[in-house]
Amino acid sequence: MTRPRGRRREAPDPWDVGFGAALLALAVAALSWWFPHDIKGGFIEASVGGRRVPGDAFFPVLLAVALAVLAAVQVLLALLGRGARAPARDADPDAGRLTARDLRFLAWFHVIVLSGIALMYGLGPAAVAAAKALGLTDLDYRQLADTAPWKYLGYLAGGFVMTAGLIVYSEGRLRRRALVTVAIVLACAVLLFDVALTNVLLPPNADQ
Amino acid sequence: MELVLEYVIRGMTDVFFTADGAFDWLPAAMVLGGLVLGIVIGATPGLNGPFAMALSLPVLISFFGHSDEALLPILGFLIGVMKGATVGGAVPAILFNTPGTPDAYLTTLDGHPMALNGQGPKALKIAHFSSAAGDTFSDMVLFLTAPVLAVLIERVLDLPEKSALIVLSLSFMAAVAGNSAVKGLMVGVLGMLLALMGSTLSGHGARMTFGITALGNGLPLTSAVLGVLVVSEVLVAVERTARERLSLLALPSIAPTGDNRFGWQDVRRILPRVFTSAVIGTLVGALPGIGTTLAATLGYDSARRLSKHPEKFGTGLPEGVAATEAANSAVSGANLIPVMSLGIPGNFAAVFLILAVESVGSFTLGPSVFRFTEIKVIEDYGTIINRDLVVAFAIFTLMVLGNVFNWTIGSWFLRALGALSRIPRSIMLPCVLLITLTAVYAQDGGFVAIWVVIVFGAIGYVLRRLDVSILPFVIGFILAPKLEELVRGGYSASGGDPWFLLKSPLAVAFLAAALLVVLFAGRPLRPRAA
Repeated sequence: MTRPRGRRREAPDPWDVGFGAALLALAVAALSWWFPHDIKGGFIEASVGGRRVPGDAFFPVLLAVALAVLAAVQVLLALLGRGARAPARDADPDAGRLTARDLRFLAWFHVIVLSGIALMYGLGPAAVAAAKALGLTDLDYRQLADTAPWKYLGYLAGGFVMTAGLIVYSEGRLRRRALVTVAIVLACAVLLFDVALTNVLLPPNADQ
Repeated sequence: MELVLEYVIRGMTDVFFTADGAFDWLPAAMVLGGLVLGIVIGATPGLNGPFAMALSLPVLISFFGHSDEALLPILGFLIGVMKGATVGGAVPAILFNTPGTPDAYLTTLDGHPMALNGQGPKALKIAHFSSAAGDTFSDMVLFLTAPVLAVLIERVLDLPEKSALIVLSLSFMAAVAGNSAVKGLMVGVLGMLLALMGSTLSGHGARMTFGITALGNGLPLTSAVLGVLVVSEVLVAVERTARERLSLLALPSIAPTGDNRFGWQDVRRILPRVFTSAVIGTLVGALPGIGTTLAATLGYDSARRLSKHPEKFGTGLPEGVAATEAANSAVSGANLIPVMSLGIPGNFAAVFLILAVESVGSFTLGPSVFRFTEIKVIEDYGTIINRDLVVAFAIFTLMVLGNVFNWTIGSWFLRALGALSRIPRSIMLPCVLLITLTAVYAQDGGFVAIWVVIVFGAIGYVLRRLDVSILPFVIGFILAPKLEELVRGGYSASGGDPWFLLKSPLAVAFLAAALLVVLFAGRPLRPRAA
């Protein structure tokens, strides 16, 4: 039996189908669980004068319905092999998909960045607590959050670990030039955000 | 006409003088500073104008504050960055054959062969001349068309039509910016949904926050946009650098030899190509969502078709450099036409101008800006005037200033700062991330901003890896409050008619056009017959 005239269908791209399915699931979850639990206003409400006016749920529901319809169309088109213009896989075989290598990189990136942020957040208070335990100060970090050197400790250490860590990850080696550059950038950031801008605080001092 | 002139003069005066009549050098100096930073960033492979605007905005807001007086210095700097980066992108393309952006790739085709022939400085001068000419032409079109378009829109469009126009703009962006219009629209709607988190219009308390108190005031706009644009770009670039060890590749340096002068004869030679490309770039730029790459491609292609020696393109022809640079630079001014007349950003640079306007002062972009209200001085009351229109003309004045600086000293900076393009991206990008996190923390005053940047960075990374354009996501995120206001207003004004959008023929036409754009863009290309 010969195929009817017309365009040849391509095999469905699982990533195109998956993308549509994921957003369809999100839209359905938003309509069935998220919005009912997390929006106090209704879809349509009566105003003081008795007029029908849109409530807080009005626009989010419209958007979620639009998202569900579009996602369903995306799934359908993808299953028919007409989901998207094909990504340039000749140049990059991984174009248009998220590989295990990407996820590994994403995990490493976030480990490095979150380590830096954790240090930024915790080093200052930890150092003050240690100083207090040793009898070097009677004050808490909150009271010292705008005092040198305490206010710089977390930012400098966390910023250094994060930035130098990412450079080492990128280059695959530790170079003195990179470390010096990071130190200079950190010094410039302190001068800009702490010395020049007197109305803002460096991380983590606005949260203490 | 007299009224128009009065507003123009007041706008210009706003840039150069303070409210009490003293000379104010700050806005002009900010334009110059922005231009220099823009050239540096544009000349650095892997960085671009929106990157610099993204990093500058929180710092500028922290420095100048949120008052009306802060708006012009901040916008002046951002406009300078936008213009400088457009010019600076030619440096690595010509000297090192390393285009920082896809459109700069076309500059390498003739620019780098010129550098290899010892004519690098001349190629840079041609690129600067063409870029500044294209940019100036496009700005002039903006100054003339934006007010006219805005007046027309304000007269013709009501709430349903304006809602439908936003839907059409988003559809258009989704259709042209990625590899699938439906995917683009989906992420546009997703961006809108996320933008609603924490807000309320009915006074029932923050919505869609998952009970997280810190989100009660909504997601910080700048942090979210910086996450999607800057952090996702850092993620992709760090990954690529790590895989390819790009920083370890030495950039070849080619010494200039021979005649590197750029005189009137050269200008006469390239001027027709510059003009054609400027017109192409302006037309392309006026449509939201279409970037500089298409303009540069069309500009280069038209120059080749119009040339008597098309076979010489790609061998180091000045016309090739001129056509590409004029076309991609002409996009930047024209891209502001939808911003100034509709309040709808068409590209990433426009996003940051809108962010600045929304964060600072009381000025609002959109069609109502260009209402030429009669200026009247009433005793014991004050002056009746459309302040927004004065600010709009002040913004135009800042753009003219940017062009003047670009024409006069831009070329010198372009050549002097070329050396900066040797800074390895493996060092540059992590430093950009650190400054981004510090800047959003300083602006939004807490770790919530940092978490938002990181989460939105991851969203942007996933979208980029899945080959889905992030432009509709960002534009959707920014336009959501406006669209919600329009839709709710239209629904209420119609007396609760659920079909209010379909009652206006113009709104129906816009929605039908949106549908057609998506359907047309969704059609797979037919393979050409052998």
